[in-house]
Amino acid sequence: MKEKFARWDALFVQYMKRDWKKIIIWVLGLGLFSGAYVPAFEEIAKGKGLLGMYETMQNPAMISMVGPTPVNTAADYTLGAMYANEMLLFCGLFAMIMAALHVVSHTRKEEDHGLTELVRSFQVGRQANSLAVVTETILINILLAVFTGGVMASFGADTISAGGSFLFGASIGMAGILGAVIALVMAQIMPTSSGATGSSLGIIGLLYIVRAGTDVSNVDLSMINPMGWTYLTYPFTENNWVPLIWATAFCIIAVIVAFALEGGRDMGAGYLPEREGREAAKKSLLSVPGLFIKLNKGVMISWLIAFVIMGAAYGSIYGDMQTFIGSNEMMSQMFTLAGVSIEESFTGTIMMVMIGLVSILPIAIVNKLFSEEVRLHLSQLYSTKVTRAKLYWTSVILAIVAGVIGILLASCGLGGTAISAMGDSSSMDIGDFVAAGYNFLPSVLFFTGLAALALGWAPKLGKVIYAYLGYSFALNYFGGILDLPEWFSKTAVQSWVPRMPVDEFDEAVFSAMTVISIALMVFGYFGYRKRDMVEGA
Amino acid sequence: MAEIVKVQGLQKKFGKFKALHDVTFTVNAGEVVGFIGPNGAGKSTTIRTLLGIINRDAGDVKIFGKDVWKDSLEIHKRISYVPGDVSLWGSLTGGEIIDLFIKLHGGGDKEKRDYLIKRFELDPKKKSKGYSKGNRQKVGLIAALSVDSDLYIFDEPTSGLDPLMEAVFQDEVEKIKHAGKAILLSSHILSEVERLADKVAIIRQGKVVETGTLDELRHLTRSTVTLVTEGDVAKMASVNGVHDFKQTGNQATFSADNEYINDILSEAAKLSVKKFESVPPTLEDLFMRHYEV
Repeated sequence: MKEKFARWDALFVQYMKRDWKKIIIWVLGLGLFSGAYVPAFEEIAKGKGLLGMYETMQNPAMISMVGPTPVNTAADYTLGAMYANEMLLFCGLFAMIMAALHVVSHTRKEEDHGLTELVRSFQVGRQANSLAVVTETILINILLAVFTGGVMASFGADTISAGGSFLFGASIGMAGILGAVIALVMAQIMPTSSGATGSSLGIIGLLYIVRAGTDVSNVDLSMINPMGWTYLTYPFTENNWVPLIWATAFCIIAVIVAFALEGGRDMGAGYLPEREGREAAKKSLLSVPGLFIKLNKGVMISWLIAFVIMGAAYGSIYGDMQTFIGSNEMMSQMFTLAGVSIEESFTGTIMMVMIGLVSILPIAIVNKLFSEEVRLHLSQLYSTKVTRAKLYWTSVILAIVAGVIGILLASCGLGGTAISAMGDSSSMDIGDFVAAGYNFLPSVLFFTGLAALALGWAPKLGKVIYAYLGYSFALNYFGGILDLPEWFSKTAVQSWVPRMPVDEFDEAVFSAMTVISIALMVFGYFGYRKRDMVEGA
Repeated sequence: MAEIVKVQGLQKKFGKFKALHDVTFTVNAGEVVGFIGPNGAGKSTTIRTLLGIINRDAGDVKIFGKDVWKDSLEIHKRISYVPGDVSLWGSLTGGEIIDLFIKLHGGGDKEKRDYLIKRFELDPKKKSKGYSKGNRQKVGLIAALSVDSDLYIFDEPTSGLDPLMEAVFQDEVEKIKHAGKAILLSSHILSEVERLADKVAIIRQGKVVETGTLDELRHLTRSTVTLVTEGDVAKMASVNGVHDFKQTGNQATFSADNEYINDILSEAAKLSVKKFESVPPTLEDLFMRHYEV
């Protein structure tokens, strides 16, 4: 026993020294994200806010996303109940993912990189590293739990008791530990670190989806789901510590299993055989577009799914918008415009916000070409008959196509959920949503054009496009509240586009922006055609 | 012999830093030209210029008589290139990447590909993120050798390869050389260049300081002579063309200028020679001579 874990304490101290910056950011960031929104929720709770939010949260779509509340009447839906209802599951999910990534990166990934080999050549036990990493991760999550609880309690809100706050924090910390042990088990089974990361995140995703189903149909069934042992503690309402005991037992068993598995395997190998890849390439890969699609596939699929979920999340609010917005001064100031329904006004604004986010994907695809260039992936391609035009325009066109699909998915996600949430009272059809979405197409093209321009002339500035997108986004988001001068708002490119369905479609603006964007892409190409390729610089 | 590559007075600046001052050399069909120089001398920059990846500031650079920047695509149809640091997409297997490169080059020989995969002992089913440096290099080499080109450019092609695979590479290069192709071989491994190259271009701080066949270059430098005589060998020290004279007993070791070799021999004969050994300079000697200041 001693032999197996020899010097784990030295490794543990070393890891704390190595990771202290990451730990501070982790604990502070996630802790504040989890615990510090109390004032914002107090704002929402004003007037009839709690009532409206209670109704909204009864929507099965919302339950499937953020989880259920044990409260049965709107009158009992306190600030604390709302906070736990809306925040706990998501914060726990983040804590799980963080911990899982951390554990894999310090166990299996280090084996793949050959670091473990070096460490193990000293007088270090076979399983010392795993023990040190697990201890470190548990400690981090305990810190996170205490910090989150402390932050929440410090606001001194009536319905957010100190006991409930620490249960809230402990639930999040326990979620993190669950994520860590799941990752530790997968790190033993899978043949590579990327396999371990992928399968851990896959299991977490699966648990989340399964609980979405059981939460809506029968909450009791969620109690047999490890993820259920975190948010079903219901802080501030039932204050039930029992699920955490289940979770602790599960973690202890999982750690024992992981150590048993690790004891029986070779370093750098797993229990599942390494999947053999293709010996020859599929036809679909054998072209520049085929290659670029393959390279961007992961990013594209994950963002496109995110767009649908984002659309659906905003769409589910439509059902109770009247009560919700009517009770909130800040919100109603943002959305109420004379002569239009609150839903239409909301659609115009939220569409701008969403399509702003959709722009991230095309920028990422265009920037990818430069990162491939710097990583020397293209060196050998340059000497083939592949033209620079082909590389450039394939990237730009792929980015545009991704943007067009992104808008479609985001607006259909929003529209579809909104229409079903509004039921008979719906004043808009899906066409209105799609039209409102594509109305912002020129802004997506414009960001694509800017990224392309940077790629051609100053590729290192590609990342700055994100900053400008963030700036425009913030300006639009808060522009409605702050009374900004006209010229200042216009520095955000989306401000030029009228907001359908409240405003009329403006053909002149639409085509002018499209032409400018295409001109940027063409101009970028002139730069790309004649500049030196940056290799490894 | 047809002139395949012609580089004349090539210059390249990166900002204020002048990477290439004056690079001049040629590569003919059926010829292997070794391009040697230390790190940072400008070998890779020169090669990137040849490929049209970067543009030159001055000079005349042609492949197949065409301008390397303006007509790069025409040129690329008939060349193969392996970079010094083959960097691959981790999520694709070696086999997939080889196929992709061959296809983007315009098609190659499937049988040749399979034969080379076997010869270089590459596992093509493995995702390339699991490859070692040497295996990544093999992927680049197999892709380049599977297509039929008239000019092959190799930038440090054997870095990371084990000696067995190095021999396989040299063997394959011999084959394409005999098929009448032109090869530009940039390398640190001087024994490899010595074995393969017909001509050598030595680059130093962005300038080609020496070009010619190995014989020509050898002639310019001194051979190392070991001499044992019956008479007093110390007399040899004052003979013209003898340098770095060292004596132990009646054995002397010195370097000899090739043009004085006759004088040296006749002087030595007077002392009654028991042993005379002359070793021509290795490429390493030639190379070091340019960097010893």
